[in-house]
Amino acid sequence: MKSLCVVLLAALAAVPVLAHHSGAGFGEETKVITGTVKQFQFLNPHSWIQVNVTDETGKVVEWSLEWGSPNELGRQGIRPSTFPEGARVTFKIRPVKSGAPVAAFQAAKFEDGRTIGKWDGDAPRE
Amino acid sequence: MNGTRLATWAALSAVLVLAPGLSYGQSTTLTAFDKLPDWTGLWRMMGPTIFDTATQTGKGGAVTPGVREHPPYADVYEKKYQEHLARRDVSRLPDVITNCGVPVGYPRILNLPDTYEFMVRPDEFYIITENGPNTMRVYTDGRPLPKKEDTWGTYTGVSVGHWEGDTLVWETIGLKGDRDSDSILDRTGLILSDAAHVNTRMRKIDENTLQAVLTIEDSKALTKPWVVTKRFRKQEPGLFMYDYGCAENNRNPVNTATGETLILGSDGKPAK
Repeated sequence: MKSLCVVLLAALAAVPVLAHHSGAGFGEETKVITGTVKQFQFLNPHSWIQVNVTDETGKVVEWSLEWGSPNELGRQGIRPSTFPEGARVTFKIRPVKSGAPVAAFQAAKFEDGRTIGKWDGDAPRE
Repeated sequence: MNGTRLATWAALSAVLVLAPGLSYGQSTTLTAFDKLPDWTGLWRMMGPTIFDTATQTGKGGAVTPGVREHPPYADVYEKKYQEHLARRDVSRLPDVITNCGVPVGYPRILNLPDTYEFMVRPDEFYIITENGPNTMRVYTDGRPLPKKEDTWGTYTGVSVGHWEGDTLVWETIGLKGDRDSDSILDRTGLILSDAAHVNTRMRKIDENTLQAVLTIEDSKALTKPWVVTKRFRKQEPGLFMYDYGCAENNRNPVNTATGETLILGSDGKPAK
């Protein structure tokens, strides 16, 4: 079962991100953050990954990373358990223009090297 | 009661009992199940959620500034469309479906992401979209299209169709169009009026491709019929269509005052 999940995750190269609304609020710049998963909201119309990230001053900031619908992601092998609470994960994201800790999910890399999404290169946008 | 009167009474009774059914055309015009084409399985719209890619100018998606389509709009609707495009360019064109609960209507129901089911039955045809979710029904039981004055403008209107071999042909009227400013065809801001009349011809053009050709007439919005083709690719067997409870965790409501789509942070406040 674990190997099946790995195959599915590895195959997940392109995910339609924002079927429910315009992605115009997100900026063009890509940013990389590393943090601890607080919660994976595998809910409609979009899933959200809540991540606690310690900034350069030592302050913990909670980021909200918006991703695709659980339906689309579910058909590609993603499950509510994909981002377990407490997992240490590095994310490639596209933050909103205001500087708030909210972003569009691009890709993720776990400590064991597994990746989800398009880790190399830019992910497709709406 | 003599024999003649009994026969007359029986005949009248039969008419009274059968009349409601007959008035809906549920008669010998139904196409048998085994004569209907196989459109089972899950389908996905091919291409981007731009309603008429054949007339698209500008590169990008529906929310990319500079992208637009070119329906044969009458001047007043071209002006409305240009106003929508200008608002789209500054992210102020609301898409009411983002608030969840508002149907996309027809013909936008043929312009959605995520999966589709096209359910063929002798007396009815259903379009079921995962996104939304949305449902539309087309009666194929032989009933006539209602008169325009017997419709009152809804998101999907009223549709009546029939089979021509392997092609389902249906007419749609009674659409609300832009009457209440809550129905667009895509996120560039395309609209129709409440006078829209759509003829749709849908068939398989190969084993894995369904094609719908829409001929849209609209005496208020268009100067001539607008023909749009939408295609759908069959998905691999065994996939599930899932529940799409849009209001479950909607962190992207529309600010109705500005038309801006908000993105809510973990504190529930807009992030921009």
